[in-house]
Amino acid sequence: MAIHVKATTGPTGNQTRQHGKGRTVARVARTIASHGVLLGIGVFFGLPFYWLVSTSLKPDSQVFAMPPVWIPHPIMWRNYPRALTYIPFARYTWNTLVICSLNVVGTVASCSLVAYSLSKIRWRGRDLVFLVLVSTMILPAQVTLIPTFTIFKWLGWIGSIKPLVVPSFFGSAFSVFLLRQFFLTIPNELSDAAKIDGCSELAIYSRIVLPLARPALATVGLFTFIGAWNDFLGPLMYLNDERSYTLSLGLQRFVSQHGAEWAMLMAASTVMTLPIIVLFFFAQKTFIQGVTLTGIKG
Amino acid sequence: MKGKEQRRNLGYGLLFAAPWFIGFAVFTAYPIAASLYYSFCSYDAIRPPRWVGFQNYHRMFVEDPLFWKSLWNTLYMVGVGLPVSLAASLGIALLLNRKLRGIAFYRTLYYLPSITPVVAASIIWLWLLNPEIGLVNIVLRWMGVAHPPAWLTDPAWAKPGLILMSLWGAGGSMVIYLAGLQDVPEALYEAAALDGAGKWAQFRHVTLPMLSPVILFNLIMGLIGSFQYFTQAYVMTNGGPQDATTFYALHLFNQAFLDFKMGYASAMAWVLFVIALTCALVVFRTSARWVYYAGEAR
Amino acid sequence: MKYATSKDQIGRRVPANPLPMCGISAISRRILITARCLALFAMAAFSAGCGHPSRTGTTEIVYWTGWSGHEFEVQQRLIDEFNRTHPGIHVHMLSQFGTSGYQKVRIAFAGGATPDVMSTVWADELAGYAMRGVLTPLDDYLRKSGRNVDREFTPGVARMLQVDGHVYGLAVTTNTNFIAYNKQIFADAGLNPDWPPRTIAELDAAAQACTKYDAQGNFIRYGFRPGGLNLWAYVFGGQWYDPVSRRVTANDPHNVAALEWMASYRKKYDIQRMEAFQTTFGSDETPSGPFFVGKVAMWSTGEWAQEFIRRYAPRLRWGWFALPAPPNGRRNCTTAGGSVFVIPAACRHKKEAWEFLNWISSPHAVKAFCLGIGNVPPLISVGKDPAFQRDPLFRFAIAIAQGRNSFGPPPIPIWPTYSREIARVEQAAMLGGEDPKRLLDDLQVRMSRELRRTLADLGR
Repeated sequence: MAIHVKATTGPTGNQTRQHGKGRTVARVARTIASHGVLLGIGVFFGLPFYWLVSTSLKPDSQVFAMPPVWIPHPIMWRNYPRALTYIPFARYTWNTLVICSLNVVGTVASCSLVAYSLSKIRWRGRDLVFLVLVSTMILPAQVTLIPTFTIFKWLGWIGSIKPLVVPSFFGSAFSVFLLRQFFLTIPNELSDAAKIDGCSELAIYSRIVLPLARPALATVGLFTFIGAWNDFLGPLMYLNDERSYTLSLGLQRFVSQHGAEWAMLMAASTVMTLPIIVLFFFAQKTFIQGVTLTGIKG
Repeated sequence: MKGKEQRRNLGYGLLFAAPWFIGFAVFTAYPIAASLYYSFCSYDAIRPPRWVGFQNYHRMFVEDPLFWKSLWNTLYMVGVGLPVSLAASLGIALLLNRKLRGIAFYRTLYYLPSITPVVAASIIWLWLLNPEIGLVNIVLRWMGVAHPPAWLTDPAWAKPGLILMSLWGAGGSMVIYLAGLQDVPEALYEAAALDGAGKWAQFRHVTLPMLSPVILFNLIMGLIGSFQYFTQAYVMTNGGPQDATTFYALHLFNQAFLDFKMGYASAMAWVLFVIALTCALVVFRTSARWVYYAGEAR
Repeated sequence: MKYATSKDQIGRRVPANPLPMCGISAISRRILITARCLALFAMAAFSAGCGHPSRTGTTEIVYWTGWSGHEFEVQQRLIDEFNRTHPGIHVHMLSQFGTSGYQKVRIAFAGGATPDVMSTVWADELAGYAMRGVLTPLDDYLRKSGRNVDREFTPGVARMLQVDGHVYGLAVTTNTNFIAYNKQIFADAGLNPDWPPRTIAELDAAAQACTKYDAQGNFIRYGFRPGGLNLWAYVFGGQWYDPVSRRVTANDPHNVAALEWMASYRKKYDIQRMEAFQTTFGSDETPSGPFFVGKVAMWSTGEWAQEFIRRYAPRLRWGWFALPAPPNGRRNCTTAGGSVFVIPAACRHKKEAWEFLNWISSPHAVKAFCLGIGNVPPLISVGKDPAFQRDPLFRFAIAIAQGRNSFGPPPIPIWPTYSREIARVEQAAMLGGEDPKRLLDDLQVRMSRELRRTLADLGR
């Protein structure tokens, strides 16, 4: 069944042609208006990042000027090479990438399995397990830091990246919850048909549900990556060798007790934020397919 | 459901959820149980805990006025800040859910504050909310307000100021809404339009119901996040002025890590747990009435 | 509320092959291959960064410092020198980033993962840790190395390093408080720029003279804003704890007088406006801080300000004077504090750790470090060194630090809580307008109870 966007009943063909021109003008006007609104509010949202980048190019004396200096003068381009050589940037980036990628893989794999169980299989105690899962997020982390540390110490993992990576292979409540909600929007007709055909749960999970949930999986992957990229407390607690430090720890090296290398710190922060921006920009296609265009479906 | 099918489902349900069960048993259960035990102990996080029964709870309710003040501050965040940020992120997601050239750029722009380092956001907001030269007050004076609020230096206006700032963090929920919005099939909108439904009716009868699983997610996560609100207050105001921004989690943090009172902090954590869990349960119970799952497992 | 059956949705979203075939499929194989690659990747990742290559015959000492950035580098140079001159010991320094590392230090103690030496313990917490038995007493080591804390360190620092009659740490830096003033503003206001205030009354008068308003009653600049009740209580002759009677003395009449004086500024000036005005210029120690841009005449600060002024406001004409005291107060008063170098009780290489600690707190190393980061040295002999004495500000600051009115944190385990409560009392009085005497009476009751309970907890 081909579905087209169609106007409501009304104008005849002739009028449609004339109105066509009018409609184009109206459309252009709407487009301009849309851009205007989006840009107007967007400028507001872009302020912190703009400040970050412009500050990275300022001399130190202008960094905290009130009101903020919006255009640095002179432009200190050399803040960037200075910042990137002040700390072993490449190594820290690699360390961070390793942790982030492992986290993404572990989270997506394990959380999709658990979410499938909590949404697509009807079993006794399921809702209670779901409730317990959600409630594990409620207790403030400050009071579980020490016992958690003790567990890792007992396992002998302090000083390695294992505490930062291994738990992600065992489900994260946030991602399981999110995926469960998305899985629940996938109707059951297909999986019912497959079950009748004699398919195993694993096959239904991997060949029907997962492909349909790609946007949700991409969202989970994105959030996991960003969370691990910016994580400061985890690496601080569990890493004891500067050679294995992550970017977030490396950035602290710019801060002294009385004052910091502010402009360089902003430059390093900008460089650290850029990959995430690029990742988000290009990953959008996967999880926001946008309003689908007109055309044949199915 | 027959007994055999029930058992089969139970088996598969547990199997798929096994990663979470293992993770819970190894990484999560002990810290949670330990913190509950600490709440009944006098524990300075250095020497072993010493059982004192309900002493921590007694002191909390009877002797600590800051407990009540911080609880009030946090409930304010939950009651006022949460609805505001939920509405804002939904609004922005709707704004960004259209096909427009360069929409990917706009979405990235609106997501930027969520990934920009906190220091950048803090500086901008310290400027925006500055009583003398801040943009917000300049606009207010231009609109005719004679004595605009002193925002972060005024106990009565510090929390609203922080709520304004939290709007910037709408990026995360916005992404989830966008992923959910693209799940709403075009066909439904068109069918609704065919029946004569206008934009608003379409929103109410197509968008909202199809989006409701994701709204529930953002609502619960927002609830949990508001109860644990901490970072901005710690970085920008450190609880001032005069404890107007001493939120529950900040008070807890101070007790746990500055005052050698981990036992008391644990008791605080569990009181928060009970309150927040109750709210979450209420939300879940009532959710059956407004959340529509297309693929509820039968 | 459904407008279409779910068939439409299926019609739209079915993947290319609508009939799933069961059994091992291309997807499962792909998953297996990915899993294998992952495992290899993970193994490589986990094994990277595992420990240092072992140096036979040397003892490895792990040292945690709170300093980072510039100070870290200065200290690293000293560490390198130590490692060069002490072949059997290798010190590895790790920064815990100041207050960001707070949680890590606590957790290290709780989880039994402390390093061999740490300077991430603030003087405020020393008594708390010492009384809980997690620090190594240094008396024997000191004696064997021929050192004596009371003789070598300035009185305030020496007192601060000792808890219950034992020495639990050593300091390599200290700070001095004084008031910096803008000579240009003084001249502008008709005051003699070379004759700074000597008494509280003169201070108040100078503050008044230097404050200027515009036609609408907004601040153009202000004279002085008192801050730091902890310090001013000592200046007024009070104290927060009496070691003789072992009692909390929060509502000592001198403390009350100090707070009342501070609160008087609230009545004289619109304090809310002053706060707002102050925040217009960002934090005190950033380049646009009020003092650097000439918006405040007098600023209570320490010797580290000299470096800031040199960098951010090199053309500023400024001077300094010791905190003025009331007639029954203390002249040339300052607090002592900062980080303390300790050896945790769980250290397994105490001999080597002490050798390092002994060296890093020796006059040679202390001089190099303090010169490098612009702090006052806590060792009397180093303070007399011409390298410090030729700088007029340091000569002045060292004289104050070596005086008898230098006060470190009292040797009680609740001091971090206590000092935070003092700050809250100050805010309540200055911004909230509450009655100083009532606030301090309340503080007295609460902190006495707190101390009593904590000591009982510790079995004393």
